[in-house]
Amino acid sequence: MKKSIFLSGILLAGMAAIPAYADQTVTFLGYSGLFQERYTKAVIEPFMAANPGIKVEYFPQQGSAAMLGALRAQKAAPQSDVALMDVSVAKTGTDEGLFDKIDESVTKNFADLYPNAKFEGVAGVGVTFDNLVLIYNTDAIKKAPDSWNALKDTSLKGKVAMLSAPDIVGIGTTIIMNHINGGTDFIKNIDAGINAMAEVAPNIQTWEPKPEVYPTVVNGQVSLGVGWNARSQVNADGSNGKMKVALPKEGTILQINTINLVKGGPSAEAARKFVDYALSAEAQAAFTASMYYAPTNAKAKVAAEVADRTVIGAMDKVIPVDWIGLSKVRDQITQDWRRKVIPLSR
Amino acid sequence: MTAATMITAPGSRTSSIVFLATLLLGPIIAVNGLAFIMPVLNLLMLSFRESLGGGGLGDAYTLDNWSSTLVDGFYIELIVQSILTSLMITILTLVASYPIALYLHRAQGRWRTILLVLVISPLLTSAVVRTYGWIAILADDGLINNTLKALGADAMRLLFNKVGVVIGLTEILMPYMILALLAGFGRLDPRVEEAAETLGASPWKVFWRIIVPLTMPGVALGCLLSFVLAVSSFITPKLLGGGRVFLLATEIYDQAIVTLNWPLAATLSMIILVIFGAALVLYSRLLRAVL
Repeated sequence: MKKSIFLSGILLAGMAAIPAYADQTVTFLGYSGLFQERYTKAVIEPFMAANPGIKVEYFPQQGSAAMLGALRAQKAAPQSDVALMDVSVAKTGTDEGLFDKIDESVTKNFADLYPNAKFEGVAGVGVTFDNLVLIYNTDAIKKAPDSWNALKDTSLKGKVAMLSAPDIVGIGTTIIMNHINGGTDFIKNIDAGINAMAEVAPNIQTWEPKPEVYPTVVNGQVSLGVGWNARSQVNADGSNGKMKVALPKEGTILQINTINLVKGGPSAEAARKFVDYALSAEAQAAFTASMYYAPTNAKAKVAAEVADRTVIGAMDKVIPVDWIGLSKVRDQITQDWRRKVIPLSR
Repeated sequence: MTAATMITAPGSRTSSIVFLATLLLGPIIAVNGLAFIMPVLNLLMLSFRESLGGGGLGDAYTLDNWSSTLVDGFYIELIVQSILTSLMITILTLVASYPIALYLHRAQGRWRTILLVLVISPLLTSAVVRTYGWIAILADDGLINNTLKALGADAMRLLFNKVGVVIGLTEILMPYMILALLAGFGRLDPRVEEAAETLGASPWKVFWRIIVPLTMPGVALGCLLSFVLAVSSFITPKLLGGGRVFLLATEIYDQAIVTLNWPLAATLSMIILVIFGAALVLYSRLLRAVL
């Protein structure tokens, strides 16, 4: 008796599962919060409308590291199909054999990607470009800062916030400082950058702006900060003019999110379709208009007023960063920070 | 009748006790084994895994994580600083909580209930919320500094440094300390105090010679609890430390989440576990000495 109830339960569960298998579900690992909200509206919903047989399930993660953790845990039996993550973490994932290669055989859009969206030794390709910017409180700073040296301005003592190394914001700002102070190859020697950061340190109120640097600038807790362009632009829009974004004349560095195919994911075919769409000119332009990440597809058509608020117009001033090479010296740079930079902050 | 069965069938009684004990302990052993022992063993294994550059996890096993951590000046200082800071927080928490607990212990009736609820109520709010409260109070233009400025004194730096971490954690740990103290105050009998006073002891002498020794079990328990919570707390140092205060817990977070060096994070976690073990040994020694 019991056994038959048990068996019919299994049968029922099996029947319920059949329609779900008829439609394919792509499990997508991406950043949580604002990114999820905007990416779903701009890319995932139009994709699902165009492909009624495919459902994309957004599985929000706190950051790239959390995604790598999830993928490592699922390596024996992957539950996810696509992961959108920072290129340096994607490189680690590639080295550990977690991803399938994305090239012309996966998407014809591959040919249209900017050269700096393709990486040696990374299975995935660039899907968004972001860049470091200065953000400032308009009550405290009237004239837009045009140089990264504004961070050293002695009148801003205790009024600057940014994330310290090992976060990419701290490392990236050091690379920029190294570049504008005559450093050549930061992987060999980043002393010029560290010395410049030591001059910034006395101005720093906190190296851990929480929850993020943007609200601390908007509400005037600090006057100047270092942030990422996309989030800075969105936060500036919602700040009633309290916060503005400046791209300094010396240029900036890129942060690149890659899209990656999980090896052995449950819906491989549908996942490839989604990757193809995510890299298309149409999807790229839509997400740029929504959140000011610059597109990685050179054919994406972006309105001029949107393009002006991304790094598209300043690509010639981008300081090249070898993220893969950087991963080898990141520990050393972090140690330099702890010895020579952070102790000098008040 | 019962005495007779006890004598005639001691074997069956013992076995039924063993059976009952196994039955009662089974669930907690299963939960602990699955949710504590196994993850810790996993962590221990991870601490011997090879760490590749850029957050890679090698398949080989190595002693490098341990040997490099235990000779690196930064990590040694980190361990020492974490222990010293946590000890300081524990002592401050004890000093701030002891009078409250003593008063609560002596309070009677409805008044006691109200005060107890007041002491426990901070635990109903998450530590994150209370930490943000401290940011509002300690900030450069927060409550304390604005008051100081209004009184004509110089503003002090109370936030985004060690001072802020110590103040915040002390307040956050106070309810735990007070509850632990109350639990350990059972032996404190007002009649003993009265007897001492009758025999001519000064209030000061009564406190040091009678009250303090009798409340030592509570003090030991509260200190153990506060120390363990202080060493492992991570949100409050992260929010109030401003990136200047390096503690084991925050470093584990950075290594696990930011630099992705899982083997190093696992090694540091095991070191914290060793510190907890040492604290536990110290606690049981102390308890044996006072009881």
